[in-house]
Amino acid sequence: MGKIKQNPFVKKVGFNRIILCFVLILMYVLFCAATQGNFLGMSRIMSALNYVYFLGFLSLGVTFVIATGGIDFSIGPVMFCSALVSGYCFMNYHLPMGLSLIVSILVGTLFGLFNGYLVAYWSVPSFIVSMASMNIAKGLASVFTKTQSVSWPQSSAEGGWYRNLVKVGNIPVGLIIFLVVAVICAVLLNNTKVGRYILCLGSNKEAVRLSGVNVKKWEMIAYVICGTLVGIAAIFYVSAYTTVQPGYGDSYNNEAIAGCVMGGTSMAGGLASISGTVIGVFIIALLQEGILALGFTKDYQLIITGVIVIVAVCSDVIARRRKN
Amino acid sequence: MGDVILTMKEIDKSFPGVHALDHVNLEVRRGEVHALMGENGAGKSTLMKVLTGIYKKDSGTITYEGKEVEFQNTREAQEAGVVIVHQELNMLGHLTVAQNIFIGREFKRGLSIDDKKMNEETQKLFARMNIDIDPTETMSNLTVGKQQMCEIAKAISHKAKVIVFDEPSAALTETEIEELFKIIRDLRSQNLGIVYISHRMDEIKVITDRVTVMRDGSYVGTLITKDCTKNDIINMMVGRVIYEDPKSASTVPEGAPVVLKVEHLNAGNMVQDISFELHKGEILGFSGLMGAGRTETARALFGADPVESGDVYVNGKKVVIRTPQDAVKYGIGYLSEDRKRYGIVVQKSVAENTTMATMEEYMAGLFINKKKEKDTAQKYVDALATKTPDVDQLVVNLSGGNQQKVVIAKWLTRNCDILIFDEPTRGIDVGAKNEIYKLMNQLTAEGKAIIMISSEMTEILRMSDRIVVMCEGRKTGELDIAEATQENIMNLATREIS
Repeated sequence: MGKIKQNPFVKKVGFNRIILCFVLILMYVLFCAATQGNFLGMSRIMSALNYVYFLGFLSLGVTFVIATGGIDFSIGPVMFCSALVSGYCFMNYHLPMGLSLIVSILVGTLFGLFNGYLVAYWSVPSFIVSMASMNIAKGLASVFTKTQSVSWPQSSAEGGWYRNLVKVGNIPVGLIIFLVVAVICAVLLNNTKVGRYILCLGSNKEAVRLSGVNVKKWEMIAYVICGTLVGIAAIFYVSAYTTVQPGYGDSYNNEAIAGCVMGGTSMAGGLASISGTVIGVFIIALLQEGILALGFTKDYQLIITGVIVIVAVCSDVIARRRKN
Repeated sequence: MGDVILTMKEIDKSFPGVHALDHVNLEVRRGEVHALMGENGAGKSTLMKVLTGIYKKDSGTITYEGKEVEFQNTREAQEAGVVIVHQELNMLGHLTVAQNIFIGREFKRGLSIDDKKMNEETQKLFARMNIDIDPTETMSNLTVGKQQMCEIAKAISHKAKVIVFDEPSAALTETEIEELFKIIRDLRSQNLGIVYISHRMDEIKVITDRVTVMRDGSYVGTLITKDCTKNDIINMMVGRVIYEDPKSASTVPEGAPVVLKVEHLNAGNMVQDISFELHKGEILGFSGLMGAGRTETARALFGADPVESGDVYVNGKKVVIRTPQDAVKYGIGYLSEDRKRYGIVVQKSVAENTTMATMEEYMAGLFINKKKEKDTAQKYVDALATKTPDVDQLVVNLSGGNQQKVVIAKWLTRNCDILIFDEPTRGIDVGAKNEIYKLMNQLTAEGKAIIMISSEMTEILRMSDRIVVMCEGRKTGELDIAEATQENIMNLATREIS
């Protein structure tokens, strides 16, 4: 272990996260410069924030799963499934809006429970389970909605109050909610038994089991937390964009995981950072907005997020190798 | 016996903190079976790893077929004709016998693999060895004994001139062992040099021509097998000077209550019909050679592995232990032999590891009371004299002895009355060892009971009040410390079971 003198601030916040903040600011400045100031506008920022909300919840959720050493590739499609099923219930079965939102969270939670149960109690690799439930979520949503896209009500329509979750006038309520949930997640991960066991079992499951801890239960709970956050993500997706189409959502997996691993959460499990995930999500959202503003297609974003995941994971692997 | 084919002279090898081989000699002739014997950790495997290039020697010479050699890796050794048949078989279960034997050097016809030719070659090989196995059979369908034969066939197919057998009989039945001996005699008559590592004294007498004994990494001597007795070999294996005085008598008070009683515990091959009692304030030593089933017994008792049958009584009450959770509930704590894998979470802090088994006590509502957690951890750091800058230090940065202390602290916070110490001082330096011993004595003085599994004879004799000896998954004896000697323990530990 090399002894590097660290100033207390850097030690507390983490070198990685400070760099990420600089990257975020630098990106913003570059995009502003490249678009001759066009990027400074409020509408751009609001648009980027819309992206931050739903992606942020996905990313927070998957952070818990990755902390256990697992992975969840179903989050994007499950989010769409939640939004479609609950939206369909609202439109066609005239469920009250409040109840519809609860249905959305419930669908996400159930998927989390399903994934978590199979991973923890049946020792099915999380990779396989989540790949399968990704398809189940897509199929289920299509069957439920009869392959129709679902349009949630506009602000002025009946039940349109849910859109206030994103913004009221020019106040970005969504941002406040997201940050509050992020703080709750951070407390959950670092100051409660759930988080402690999730991180410990992600690092050395067998040692935790032999300490007399019910590791299966806690591992499953990580997936349930993830599922619940995915259900919340669905609400913020429709609040921002209103229309959802069945059969999509895969591309958000990559972006959510990218945001998470970029922030310093280790794919090998045991190490996770909520604040890192939050900054990571801002970077991904800014990136997507910037790419569109510069007139490139979404395809470039796919390439860039793919590369980000690989670079982030590689640097994690290298860091581990150095330690050994 | 023919001329000398392999000489290892004055081989020296050190690892950080351990002098693993101290000027060891070994000489193998063509047409001889040469036994390599010694206790666990005597350096037999290390010596063989130096021979085949897995480890680099620090000094000494290896002469093979008259030339000095230094193999860089097992492949080079193999090509030169020096092959090890490992105790754990390195076979791919889903491939056929022939595919396994020729793995990595398959015959090809054009771009495709020539399975037909491989089967023919394998058949020829088996014919030469006089064994009857179908080359096209899937490996996993064979018995362990047959798989071992295939491993030997593979060695021979490498045109081996020296074959090292590393405890080949460990997993074999009587008849399979006889078959193995037949093959070994065959190989001997074909003028191969054979090194035979085994703990089974009786086998040594039957199959080997000479015996080289190692002890604590040094060379003790070489004997001609037919001129020596079993006791001669045992004496050479254990005859070290004992620095620490062994315990002369049990320190457990007369009539101390039984805190743990195990009856007819069965769990797979390695735990067969194990029964014993553990008294309050007692250290019960579990002695035996590697693979005797001691760790397996402990793990089964602790609920870490599934149990087939058997009764467990804690403080006279019958209990059912299915998971480690149950065991912990009944006040049993387990310190694993493999700290890194089963004991500690290396990326977490000393405090987090200390409270792992007792989280409930540090909860203030929904939240962890980190101050209380740290205070407790600090208390145990002080009590056990754990060397760490602070309790926030990651355990990965501590030395082995101090990591062990963190694991002990974990079970002490739980206030377990029954502690299983599995190889408590493995990989720990001498000073720290003594501290752990002191601590164990302190714990029993406080009325806790300890099961101590140890492969170190001196440790067993120094710490135990009573000793259970195991051999191949069975209990072969129980000794009071007053009557225990290295020799009679070793006798029980190597007792042949038919």
